[in-house]
Amino acid sequence: MTHLFSEEEWNDYLEEQIDDETRDRFEAHLIGCLSCWKFYERMANATQALRVSGAGMRSVFALQDRQLSAGLRGVFAKIDEAEGAKRDQPRRVIQQRLDALAAVMAPMCGSQTATKALRAAAQVSHARSLERVTEDNWTSFLMSLKPIAAVMCGETGARLVWESGQF
Amino acid sequence: MDDRHTIENFLLTGADEDFCALFEAVYPRVRRYFLLRGIEVGEAEELAQDVMVIVYQRAGEIREKEFFNGWLFKVAKNELTRFWRHRLLRARIVEMEPLDDELAEQLMTEMEVAGSSDFVEWVSYLEPAERDIIILRFVEELSYEELAVALAIPIGTVKWRLFNAKKKLAPIIKALLPATARRIN
Repeated sequence: MTHLFSEEEWNDYLEEQIDDETRDRFEAHLIGCLSCWKFYERMANATQALRVSGAGMRSVFALQDRQLSAGLRGVFAKIDEAEGAKRDQPRRVIQQRLDALAAVMAPMCGSQTATKALRAAAQVSHARSLERVTEDNWTSFLMSLKPIAAVMCGETGARLVWESGQF
Repeated sequence: MDDRHTIENFLLTGADEDFCALFEAVYPRVRRYFLLRGIEVGEAEELAQDVMVIVYQRAGEIREKEFFNGWLFKVAKNELTRFWRHRLLRARIVEMEPLDDELAEQLMTEMEVAGSSDFVEWVSYLEPAERDIIILRFVEELSYEELAVALAIPIGTVKWRLFNAKKKLAPIIKALLPATARRIN
């Protein structure tokens, strides 16, 4: 609070965004209060200087057409990259699941055999190949994998593979 | 077409061509904000582009469309915070590629002009939060309502902070400005 007025009111007065009634109160007070008048003068000068200098800043950083074009190209490149990453995300999740299954099977039958088992299961499932395994045909793939895993890792190992493969 | 219509058009259609028009109106402002907050030119451009990507992807989520500018600078402010945090955490020093001569000259000129301005000197005496509000008010000309959105504070606090930042700057401006430039018109 500065004399009769709050900081918010002072700010509104300095920025000429005040209602008529409060402005009249301000002006009536400023006529009779030297310290407030000096304060007002100092603050009004600062506000005006900031306005002028702020406007100057807007022209200092003006951009040329080629800078704008480069910026726009940069933005669209980033958008494409983000959308590509979004598209690839489901594939990454599937790959992580496949890696997890291979990791479960590898101690029981060896890592090469585990990879071959996954590939064989994919071929006889709806996916038709390991690269085409998706979330949609995952259950079919897993059902094909279970009997193969039973041969290679035993019934207990196959159950473990089945449980590990659940989403 | 003025900036308000450009913004409204993009928010309405979300079309790429309307985004290009919006980009032309908005990107220089965001880039300028980062430069005035002390970010180097290359990084300021990267950050401004990141902000524009967010505008492209998420502008449809804006509830109060008339406060687009407030939302825009809120995003910019968040990106700046993320940038500083990342920079603090970064342990290794990345070796920078040398700039080509033409670009280096152009960037130096821009920074030298800005660096020698009164405005940049004045705001250098302020705390980061004060600097934000002064830049957004006097360079970007955000309204109180837009400032409230950008800084996520109530309008009363916007006015209070503006007043106190100006109060802090008043003696600095008085001391640094030549007497002839100080008179109120």
